[in-house]
Amino acid sequence: MLDPETISFEEIGFRAGLEVHHQIQSKRKLFCNCKPELRTETPDYMFERRFRPVLGEMGDFDEGMLIEYEKGYRVIYHAYTECTCLYEQDEQPPFWPDLEAIYAGYQLAHWLNCSALVDVGIVARKQYLDGSITTGFQRTLIVARDGWVEVNGKRVRISNLTVEEDAARKLKTENFGRTVYYNLDRLGIPLVEVITDHLDCTNPTDLKKLGEIIGLTLRLSGIGRTGIGSVRQDVNISIKGGDRVEIKGVQDLSMFDTLARHEIVRQDMLIQIAGILKERGFEKSHLEHTYYEITEEFPSDSIPKGLSVMAIRLPKFKGILGLEIQPGKDFGQDVFEKASLISGILVEHMYHSDELSDNAQRRRNKKLPFLFPLIDKSLDGKICDVLDITERDAYCVAMGKNSWTIHAMKKIIERLKYALDGVPQETRRLLPNGNSEFLRVIHGKDRLYPDTDTPALDLELQRIQSLKSKVGKRPWELEKEFSEKYGLKFNQLQNLVHENRLDDFLILIKDYNIKPIIAYSYLTETLKHLRRKGVNTSDMGVEEIKIVIQQGLKKKNNIYDFAAQKYLEPKKV
Amino acid sequence: MPSNLPKGYKHISKKFFKEHDIEAWDKVEIKKGNSIFQGIILPRNQFAEDGYIEIKLKNGYNIGIKVQDLDTVRVVGKNPPMKVEFKGVSVPKDRAKPNVTLLGTGGTIASRLDYVTGGVIPAFQPHELYAAVPELADICNLDTKIVFKIFSEDMEPKNWLRLAKEVASLSNKEIDGVVIGHGTDTIGYSTAALSFLVKNLKIPVVFVGSQRSSDRPSSDAAMNLIHATQLAANGDIAEVVLCMLGSSSHTFGYIHRGTRVRKMHSSARDAFKTIGDIPLGKIDHGEITWFKNNLVRKSEVNSDVDTVCSTKIESKCALVHIYPGMSAEIIDFYIDKGYKGMVFAGTGLGHAPNHTFKAIDRATSEDVTVVMALQTLWGFTGMDVYSNGRKLKDLGVIPADMIPETAFAKLCWILGECESKDEIRTLMITNIAGEILPREEIRGYRILQGRTE
Repeated sequence: MLDPETISFEEIGFRAGLEVHHQIQSKRKLFCNCKPELRTETPDYMFERRFRPVLGEMGDFDEGMLIEYEKGYRVIYHAYTECTCLYEQDEQPPFWPDLEAIYAGYQLAHWLNCSALVDVGIVARKQYLDGSITTGFQRTLIVARDGWVEVNGKRVRISNLTVEEDAARKLKTENFGRTVYYNLDRLGIPLVEVITDHLDCTNPTDLKKLGEIIGLTLRLSGIGRTGIGSVRQDVNISIKGGDRVEIKGVQDLSMFDTLARHEIVRQDMLIQIAGILKERGFEKSHLEHTYYEITEEFPSDSIPKGLSVMAIRLPKFKGILGLEIQPGKDFGQDVFEKASLISGILVEHMYHSDELSDNAQRRRNKKLPFLFPLIDKSLDGKICDVLDITERDAYCVAMGKNSWTIHAMKKIIERLKYALDGVPQETRRLLPNGNSEFLRVIHGKDRLYPDTDTPALDLELQRIQSLKSKVGKRPWELEKEFSEKYGLKFNQLQNLVHENRLDDFLILIKDYNIKPIIAYSYLTETLKHLRRKGVNTSDMGVEEIKIVIQQGLKKKNNIYDFAAQKYLEPKKV
Repeated sequence: MPSNLPKGYKHISKKFFKEHDIEAWDKVEIKKGNSIFQGIILPRNQFAEDGYIEIKLKNGYNIGIKVQDLDTVRVVGKNPPMKVEFKGVSVPKDRAKPNVTLLGTGGTIASRLDYVTGGVIPAFQPHELYAAVPELADICNLDTKIVFKIFSEDMEPKNWLRLAKEVASLSNKEIDGVVIGHGTDTIGYSTAALSFLVKNLKIPVVFVGSQRSSDRPSSDAAMNLIHATQLAANGDIAEVVLCMLGSSSHTFGYIHRGTRVRKMHSSARDAFKTIGDIPLGKIDHGEITWFKNNLVRKSEVNSDVDTVCSTKIESKCALVHIYPGMSAEIIDFYIDKGYKGMVFAGTGLGHAPNHTFKAIDRATSEDVTVVMALQTLWGFTGMDVYSNGRKLKDLGVIPADMIPETAFAKLCWILGECESKDEIRTLMITNIAGEILPREEIRGYRILQGRTE
């Protein structure tokens, strides 16, 4: 495996882009009149659903959708009478969409320099079977294309800008992940999705900055809703010889660097594995769907009642499943995570023959998975006999309910066949250490089709055009101004925007000739200190601030001390 | 002149296609100011507004572009029209399994989705149904027959008769049960009509539909179809029933008697309620539980007696909602047009405005049967309580203790069967198929209003 710390992004052909999902400030949800607000209290009522893939025009099911269906989710929704209605319950056709939210999308399109604005909006359905949307599809609408933002002096293209309904919030899973709970409060809140060209970022530093620039644009334009969970980004990453992998739902931009490095080493390792298999003369047909029941090989009573242990032979795979593909994780585990998600068999209940070695990745963890203490050299020998394993072969073992185990084995074989092709296009979930695990197959464009419930939206072209006049200085323009005129950095600009004090800052330095660094530190640091001491700073207007700064400068030349005294011990001043 | 003009467009858009020699499915590049759009020209919903064209972009989204502000358009590629083939799944017959026939009337129980236009292609043949709902093959041997293809809202009494004949003939064959797929708008009228039109039924006849169409992943269609098929295959009942989800959850289905069921919500999954009583039973994961014991049991039916079907039905019947200020002209209209019967959905205990009495008197004296059902849906008529009711009765109005839609279907049936006034009255007030309740328990009247105080 490559060392994640010393990657040459240029050499490896790193390419990345973002899909930023940001909630829009609105009075109502996108397709109904419910309030867009989140709830934490006990739900008022619950209901249960199951989803089925829809037959395509050729009479077959889409592969990605079928994999979703195979997960066999039972979905339970938590609902609140105040912020969910029959629309979120998928018991009623959509209301007329919230046009204010759609025009907000157009306004953002001007901020992002989109050249192609759509005149007639056509609502589409994007299928999801994971239960996150009660209808089984998300209603989404493209408003503009072909924009750009500037990131560290380079242009990054915005390929599409859509307005869509947010999904329900996942609460927890039960029964080995087969029962999924969602809270319906978030479902239907309008959001914009900004999709950047996934080839335009060539290093993680630019990628992080891209996320910051888009986030800042949403703040400056006043379109974005603020608060926890109001923004999520999906990161698309590929390397030379690899393929597009989407890492979903990253909330923290500071994770970008680590996750990018960990994904690079994973794709690089998958390409290497494909090379080794080719060298060994491996062909997909060598992997057969023959499942051996080996429960009886284990000491009696060691396997819980009702469960069985199955094994499969993996010709020419010796040593491959044990290869480290992300820090602390071997290829075998990556395969198991996918099989586990689909079949419901725990990763702890799966094992591969490379794990017999003392140096195996999972053996380094002190908490050994269930099967490990059981499989020793002698049992390994017995399993090899039953499976007729030769020196170049490997095997996998899984324990669980019979049908679930067979399902898991089937998924392992399918995934290992793909090992010959290198990197599969997948949507993956970020793990806290920067690694990722399989979530679903990337949805194709075919899973998008027109929503027959909503007529085409004939929008006011004049209004769309007039929104352009509301566009202010873009983040990269301000960045330049800050650095050239005020000697301030990008993160200081970000702080001012997050504190909602950018306008005050500009007034202080332009109208009152206060030094930029003094204005900046008062508006961010001083006000923050005062707030921590219990002073209500949100009502302080620019006039009041100006006076305090000027008086502080005159009297003590230490503005913070002066302000602290003024607000905390007013009698002394 | 293009030969394959895109469908669904009106004149401005059509003219544009002709001028630029554009056909459906062509790949075009459109320039408009600084914008360039590339995509495929699609056929479109015929009710969509004129003056714009719809294209499918490479990323799968569709957009609309106003034709008047376009700078240039050029065809960059031709695509052959999409061909639809259907593979399906064939399942051999299993002698150990019950035989169920599914009759189609026009509602889509299962369907395929045309991802390009969002259109829905019905799937109805067994091999299509097995592909869409594979669980059906485990329940029974399924045969299918399309009786007619009519939207539920376009159904007429003659269609009920046609369907009833089909059911009667199946009941006399070696078949375990019948499932009838039906659009939900008027399904309750059909269940009522068949309850009267078919006599000596020997097998379960289960009507089923879906409230969320089968082209969406969250549809209740598959679940309802599975429940209905299980009930038709294994249910010990020889009546016309409706079986659909009993709550918002995709868990159990309720079994409703055909003469007491009514659609009570325009879109909710549990729209169907038994009025005046609790449902007959429920089906959950294939297990049938009966709540009521006054059922006609399949196991107790004399199989030597043939199932018979009425030969005629009277379609000149009307269902008239009584409302404040209604004009007596409405009643005169039906008499003038030669209607044979009228069902009123009366106010309160079965009342109509006093100023309509003259017209009602004319109706009954001209041998138009006038029946009084209730717009309250719940409760019995009480036409002896107030003078309005007593007068109406005196004019010859027949009280009908059933939901208005059932009273309507029953009247269509009765007037097809007999002409004598006495006979008509007797049949109308006699319970034939569970439509008249002997008593009303409070359990049935459960319109939960969400408050208990």
